[in-house]
Amino acid sequence: MNIPHLFPCGLNRREALWQMGGGFTGIALAAILEEQGFFRKHLGAAEPAIRASSPHFAPKARAVIHLMMNGAPSQVDTFDPKPLLEKYAGKPLPQDKKYINSGGRKVGFLTPAFRPFRPGGKSGIPISDYFPHVRSHADKLAVIRSCHTDSHAHGSALVAMNTGSVFIGRPSLGSWCVYGMGTACKNLPAYVVMMDKRGGPISGQPNFGSGFMPGQFQGTLFRPVGTPILNLKGPDNPFIQRTQLDLLAKLNEDHMALRPGGTDLAARAQSYELAYRMQTEAPEAVDFATESKQTLEMYGIGREPTNEFGRNCLIARRLVERGVRFIQLYSGGGHLDDTWDAHVSIEKNHGQHAREVDQPIAALLWDLERQGLLESTLVVWGGEFGRMPFSEGPGEPGRNHNPYGFSSWFAGAGIKGGTTYGATDDFGFEAIENKAHVHDLHATILHLLGFDHERLTYFHQGRDERLTDVYGHVLRGILN
Amino acid sequence: MQAALFLAIAIGFAPPDFERDVVPILAAKCLGCHNKNESSGDLNLQNNDSMKDLVPQPGPEKGELFRRIQNQEMPPKEKGKPLTEKEKQTLLSWIQTGASWPIGRKLGLYEKTTPTVGGLDWWSLQRLNSPVVPHFPGVSNPTDSFVRQSLSVQKLSPAPEADRRTLIRRLSYDILGLPPSFEEVNHFVADPGHDAYDRLVDKYLADPRFGERWARHWLDLIRYGDTNGYERDGDKAFAWKYRDYVIRSINADKPYDRFLIEQMAGDQLPDRTEETLIATGMLRVGTWDDEPNDKLEYSYDRLEDMVHVSTTAFMAMSVKCARCHDHKFDPITQEDYHKVAAAFWPGDLVGNSQTKVGGFDVLAWTDLPGKPKPLHLLKKGDPRRPGPEVFPGFVSMIPTLDATIPPKKEVQMRRLELAKKLAHPGNPLTARVAVNRIWQQHFGQGIVRTPDNFGFKGALPSHPELLDFLALEFIKGGWQAKPIHRMILTSATYKQSSIHPEEAAFSRIDSLNRFLWKANRHRIDAEALRDSLLVVGSGLDTTMFGPGITPTITSEALEGLSKKAGAWQPSPLEKQRRRSIYIHVRRSLINPLLGTFDFADTSRPCAQRDVTLVAPQALMLLNDGFVHAESKALGVRVSRMGTDAKTRIQGAWRLALGRDPTPREVSLGSDFLARMGDELGLEKLCHVLVNTNEFAYVD
Repeated sequence: MNIPHLFPCGLNRREALWQMGGGFTGIALAAILEEQGFFRKHLGAAEPAIRASSPHFAPKARAVIHLMMNGAPSQVDTFDPKPLLEKYAGKPLPQDKKYINSGGRKVGFLTPAFRPFRPGGKSGIPISDYFPHVRSHADKLAVIRSCHTDSHAHGSALVAMNTGSVFIGRPSLGSWCVYGMGTACKNLPAYVVMMDKRGGPISGQPNFGSGFMPGQFQGTLFRPVGTPILNLKGPDNPFIQRTQLDLLAKLNEDHMALRPGGTDLAARAQSYELAYRMQTEAPEAVDFATESKQTLEMYGIGREPTNEFGRNCLIARRLVERGVRFIQLYSGGGHLDDTWDAHVSIEKNHGQHAREVDQPIAALLWDLERQGLLESTLVVWGGEFGRMPFSEGPGEPGRNHNPYGFSSWFAGAGIKGGTTYGATDDFGFEAIENKAHVHDLHATILHLLGFDHERLTYFHQGRDERLTDVYGHVLRGILN
Repeated sequence: MQAALFLAIAIGFAPPDFERDVVPILAAKCLGCHNKNESSGDLNLQNNDSMKDLVPQPGPEKGELFRRIQNQEMPPKEKGKPLTEKEKQTLLSWIQTGASWPIGRKLGLYEKTTPTVGGLDWWSLQRLNSPVVPHFPGVSNPTDSFVRQSLSVQKLSPAPEADRRTLIRRLSYDILGLPPSFEEVNHFVADPGHDAYDRLVDKYLADPRFGERWARHWLDLIRYGDTNGYERDGDKAFAWKYRDYVIRSINADKPYDRFLIEQMAGDQLPDRTEETLIATGMLRVGTWDDEPNDKLEYSYDRLEDMVHVSTTAFMAMSVKCARCHDHKFDPITQEDYHKVAAAFWPGDLVGNSQTKVGGFDVLAWTDLPGKPKPLHLLKKGDPRRPGPEVFPGFVSMIPTLDATIPPKKEVQMRRLELAKKLAHPGNPLTARVAVNRIWQQHFGQGIVRTPDNFGFKGALPSHPELLDFLALEFIKGGWQAKPIHRMILTSATYKQSSIHPEEAAFSRIDSLNRFLWKANRHRIDAEALRDSLLVVGSGLDTTMFGPGITPTITSEALEGLSKKAGAWQPSPLEKQRRRSIYIHVRRSLINPLLGTFDFADTSRPCAQRDVTLVAPQALMLLNDGFVHAESKALGVRVSRMGTDAKTRIQGAWRLALGRDPTPREVSLGSDFLARMGDELGLEKLCHVLVNTNEFAYVD
């Protein structure tokens, strides 16, 4: 019988290394051991340590910043102008438009945008007055107006935007990116998630989990001030910990001396030195002492309401500089009006959230460009779904959930700026032209990182799993 | 010209036998593209309907089949391996002699294993074979005989027996999930009896902490959680009763076939009790979205979860892959999937928050009374494209059990019938899979190293005869696990040292120790780590059973939650010192200590945890509040043992590592205490000891 097996005669050294930790810092560990000639010394092998899967073609992006507008912004009020809504204002959505009334809420009438749209940049892409700063970067954006997703509920739609599936338990987009790219920095996690201080996303951890991949591929929560990573803060007196680590190293050496060939033991001993370095280097990534006053002002740091998201955006740029691969920033956290979930009033809700993020996002785009990083960094903006073109009850100023059509935009590495892609119907209700499913967004992101989404696979329980399952196509229309 | 030459040669031989010579080639090289589902070029080779056209009579060599094969057009290069010369000649000769095809013979799609698909002849589907136990002088444990046999084939030899100190620590972590105390170690080391080790095995297997340890392995497999996940992540009331049921069943060594039947269909047993109802919690402890996007579709997704958890846990086959199409790698048809699913199908699987079943407060599963709703095979898995109705039954890959469950039965009886087929001794998978899991936990790797996949994409057994031997012993012994544990634990194979005198040379032959020439050193898992910290520190609360506990966690870790205020209600401090298996498993936020050390994914069956080695684990053990508190408590215990540095160093080593320090360690420890100052120093020394590799690894 000819059996093309995964492990014809057990794991080889490469796989053993992989099990030891091929992703976040695991790769770094392997690299450290490699540098010190560990494998040659102990295993007599010459194969290099795993650093990353090989890209399928030349990557455009080396890093991704995902600006996650948690709660779902309204497309017809931000990036998808629908002048016909003025004409149909006060009328119901036509009967032939079928939808699930999420949460069984009141259904009102078609309602025009709450703020006017104006053309931005040379391309003249219309962007509403909720995002005047971002509008000034219109020529950098590819606005995808035809997004759609598989769920009308926040919990499963957030998980879908983050993992491709409405069911919890699959690896998140960031995990797949790191799985493909490996990590470029030893002392920071490759996949960083920064929450809104009001809370995390609905469904929690599975939004940035690694699913069936090993734990080192999961997102690491990063806090914008002080010690950014859980348990990163050592004792106030660093002398104590250094003395402890010196003793620990000696005890581990004695233990290893009696156990020849213990690569796992050596790697674990090394992980303490790596952890020690992270304690100083990770806080440095969130320390703005070297940033100019103008830069801080540009991001809106030190002022409300932009301080928090401004800090996060500046940290994102600093993390990109340090080789972090995937950075996700949440705007909005928790529930209802603490997020973009504008059931009650678009103007009140979006007015507040857009004010918090508009200037920082514009600053980030400008800053990345200034540092020469934008050409190798992909910036993705969007929510988990969109909102209805009609209100929640006659005369009410809020809008309900809409998975059938919504907008996202991409900017930076490999993106054709100043373009719009796809379209919704006359009401902005559902995507009808060049439809872009969540899988298509994911396929495009992987493409820009140099990976064919159909070939970047992870073997799990007898199946080669993909981020896009059996779906997805690259949105070539937004690529350079 | 060529044909004529060939004819001349072929005439001297008997024509190929269809079953013996032709079928294997058709199965391996042709059926992949020419079958009833995918009939490339409109040709289906599962039957001979097309043969008349392809093989004209007379002049078969003028027909298309002959020509295509002779010109090596089939199979096409891009579709896999071409025919070997011998295969080609066999087929040509078969065609020339009339392409005989027994009347009515239909080739099954999965009849034979091919280079791309497992067939009904796949090893794990064959009946259990009673192997002859190989004889080696001085070897009495059959486990050892099989291992020795494969070692000798590989020109390897076993490692010497580990010392007693190593053995008791290994056994204690393996069976109880806890470290032995210094006194227990010394008692065992000093025991003069030659049966001291065997007595220790019996003692540990009878210890109730055995169930607490081994239940966790089972909970991983059936994706246990105490909450639903998703937006509200609501509590699953009484899920903990299922967890307690598993602990009790393992401690009582409940026969595995009964354990299986109770979990699958405990609500329909004639001797149904509260306990057997609780057992059906297996079907409910997974994730549950109370706000699904598409209720109809979600019903079928929930059904898939039930099929998946039961067929993975009991058969290690991914039956769920056949929900939308015939399985790509294993002999499981879409109809098979639906036959199994039909046994679970009550018609609607969306609503599910009931906590009263049969008059008890339990998280149990039972069907609504009345006639079961029909389940239709769904084309491409689409609920809106129903095909023919499918009646409950079993997978056809085990032909002896492949009979439809009589349709007149009540809904619940269908599940019971399915359970009986799963637990049937004639089902070769169930016992093989179960003993492989036992082996896996004792050695770190199963005899089949993919414990959740015994199919084509899984690994082959390293010791197939041993696997069958254990499986048969298991069934013969009334499906009781403890005798199997005992046989394994008392083997010389298990008792080997993790260091071999020929380490370097043997590593080159078998670097991953597949043939077991030494013991596998391994890091203790998340629960054992936390429990050990409590044992050496503030003391482990050994209270068994009951609702889960919630340890305090740092506010930093709460940031991933959507509802922060009041979201995390820690248990009273004095209740937090219980074993980790009693921690309330909240799907939206797994306990950070457990999560950092590779706790199982709770959304789907996990047959083997990852073992990662990453810096956040070091950060956790260096800086986490719980680890600090336990180190401090350990320091307090040590300080009560005496005031001078030497006594304290000795005490710290004894309590943390179960042994006396070496003279060099005494000197290192003294230097450390001198630099730190006595009071702070002791706590910090203890903190160092719980961070050592020695604390974290078992030899």
